[in-house]
Amino acid sequence: MYRNFAARAVGWISFARLAMAAIAMVAFSGCATHYVDGATKEVLAAQFKKPAEPGPVQLIFEFQTRGTLNARVTDLLKTQVREQVSGSGLFANVDDKPVAGGALLSVTLNNVPLSDDAFIKGFVTGFTFGLVGSTASDGYVCTVTYLGRGQAASVTKVARHAIHTAMGTAAAPGDAVKMDDMRQAAQTMARQVLSTALNDLSNDATFK
Amino acid sequence: MNKSSLRLSHRALLAFGLLAVVMLTGCAQIKLGTPVASIENIQKAKASGMQPSSVGDFVLAKGKPATLDTRISVRSNSVSSPYDQSFAKYLKETLSTDLQAAGLLNPASSTVIKGELTDSQIDPAIGTGSGKVAARFTVTKAERQVFDKEFVAESKWESSFVGGVAIPRAINEYTALYRALVSKLLDDPAFRAAVK
Repeated sequence: MYRNFAARAVGWISFARLAMAAIAMVAFSGCATHYVDGATKEVLAAQFKKPAEPGPVQLIFEFQTRGTLNARVTDLLKTQVREQVSGSGLFANVDDKPVAGGALLSVTLNNVPLSDDAFIKGFVTGFTFGLVGSTASDGYVCTVTYLGRGQAASVTKVARHAIHTAMGTAAAPGDAVKMDDMRQAAQTMARQVLSTALNDLSNDATFK
Repeated sequence: MNKSSLRLSHRALLAFGLLAVVMLTGCAQIKLGTPVASIENIQKAKASGMQPSSVGDFVLAKGKPATLDTRISVRSNSVSSPYDQSFAKYLKETLSTDLQAAGLLNPASSTVIKGELTDSQIDPAIGTGSGKVAARFTVTKAERQVFDKEFVAESKWESSFVGGVAIPRAINEYTALYRALVSKLLDDPAFRAAVK
């Protein structure tokens, strides 16, 4: 009986060690590599069609996850977004309070999952010590809505982007650009997708 | 299935459970992000015809447990407000942010909006998560109370069994309840009349 118990105990310990190794792999491996999709590229501010007399604008920015406000990521990106809008040359100045003339620019960046089974993929990759690679993708929808001075109707432009995360031995996705980390990926994605939407806005005949 | 393979599958279950425990739990101290002006609430406030108002004290309602104001628990993570660890003050900042963005915040105004947090709940259960925030708002004009009403904001959402997915989702949904509460206040005809 004791021999049987000892054999079972050794078996449990071996399996527990394997499980702990897998946990460590999942928790500490850091084997994820982030790529910014290559389809949406940055449009330089110099290429925007500038209005004859740029006016001031009130900027409202929010980052959403699946359509719900994500206040923490909004905090991380709001300075970058404000600087990009300020440097666009499309407005005389940018404020978070109402401005003379009442012009309002709303920028919303919504993170939508492109692959809902990302966790399962990551779990399999971690559990197999990275031998089974996988790639998960996140989509980002940038919606820019502008209500100009004295205008009753607003103009809306939408641009899309994606960040791909490769885990384990997964190959780099298509023409995507490798980033140092997730922060750089998020900042690059935000800059590129906002520049695309602002460029579209600047080329709209009703934008003045 | 023989005994040894049965034993192995039990071990596999235990190992999976162990992994799940590690990955689904945590004990972090998390603060809500600072309130963000809502374009919908800005437009509602502007359309309401309200006069610039000041925002007074926001406190926990009398008789409510202090923990209602100080923290919520999201799968063993403790979530609190960045403003003196008070959700009542978080509601005040949410309202102030929207009114300021609408150009309708004036600290010198004799029209004062005050609030009492009456409820704050979150349940990020596996399957369907739910949350609820409630507050009583009052408006005084030249120290005379002209409005007193309680509003409740509730929501339900799909809640993953994976903590790494469910916890941030629950925090975002909970944060959005404050914005929803302000939206309900701005929609209320009696409130609109009180602040004109």
